[in-house]
Amino acid sequence: MFQVIGGRSVQAARLLAPRSVVLVEAVRGRKSRTDPVAKSKEGRIKTPPPVDPVEMVVLKERYSEYQLIMRALRLEFKEEVLRKRYEEETGSRAEERARQEAEEHRALMAWNDQENLRMLKLRVLRVQQEAEEAQRKKLEVIMQREQEQQELLKDKEKEILQLQEDVKNFITLENLDQRIEEALDNPKNYNFAIDKEGRVVKQTLLQ
Amino acid sequence: MPRYELSLILKAMQRPETAATLRRTIETLMERGAVVRDLENLGERLLPYKIDKHNARHSRGSYFLVDFYAAPSILTSFLDHLHRDVDVVRSTILKKDERVSSNNCCAKSSNTSLHL
Repeated sequence: MFQVIGGRSVQAARLLAPRSVVLVEAVRGRKSRTDPVAKSKEGRIKTPPPVDPVEMVVLKERYSEYQLIMRALRLEFKEEVLRKRYEEETGSRAEERARQEAEEHRALMAWNDQENLRMLKLRVLRVQQEAEEAQRKKLEVIMQREQEQQELLKDKEKEILQLQEDVKNFITLENLDQRIEEALDNPKNYNFAIDKEGRVVKQTLLQ
Repeated sequence: MPRYELSLILKAMQRPETAATLRRTIETLMERGAVVRDLENLGERLLPYKIDKHNARHSRGSYFLVDFYAAPSILTSFLDHLHRDVDVVRSTILKKDERVSSNNCCAKSSNTSLHL
């Protein structure tokens, strides 16, 4: 019948923050409303707990006094809080504070602007320098490329000159016979021997 | 034009006949528009093995080297021509590579040579 309120029970009871650790409330257990009363409870008459009138009067007075004082205190505290808030917003020092804050704000904004200007100048300088660097590098690369091309051209020209020199030794119809005779007279030997130390022996036996 | 090298093995013949064969070969080459650069004789020597060609068994041959500039299109016909020549034992045409630069040479070439 009486259930212990755990964490999952009635919300209001939980919010009331009971003094005792365990809060008990009446809850219908096994039996429903329409079930007959148990045999052991047949003649039971529920009587409220007895009250002493004198005690009750005294208690009531004391309670009322106590509650009066408590309410007064509470209201006074609330009023104090409200007054403080009001004064903070529209009090005498509120204007000074507002003015000081505005001043600070202006000073800080000015400082911020200064910083921005300074950064701007630095940035502009830096960007300019980087642009110059990039330009210079590009020029360098172009120069390098041109130089390489020049060198290539020179190499090719050298090759051509070399070839022109060699052309004089080529075989033509006129010197064909002469060259054949020459070749038959001078047999060439490309064989050679070499050992591990690198000594070369060009003179070998031609069979 | 790319540069080729013809290594020619001719039958072991007398000197005038060899000269005539060579002349024939080089003239054929020139007719097809090649520029002959040089002709080298590697001597008449024993062949490494006996070669059968044109119904004859050859044990000696004379080696010749012709380097020339030519168009690649004439090579196959020229090789055919050489195969059909009776005096030619073997002919090979190779492309001539550029000279390897001696800068990358790892082995140090020593100048000393054994004198026998």
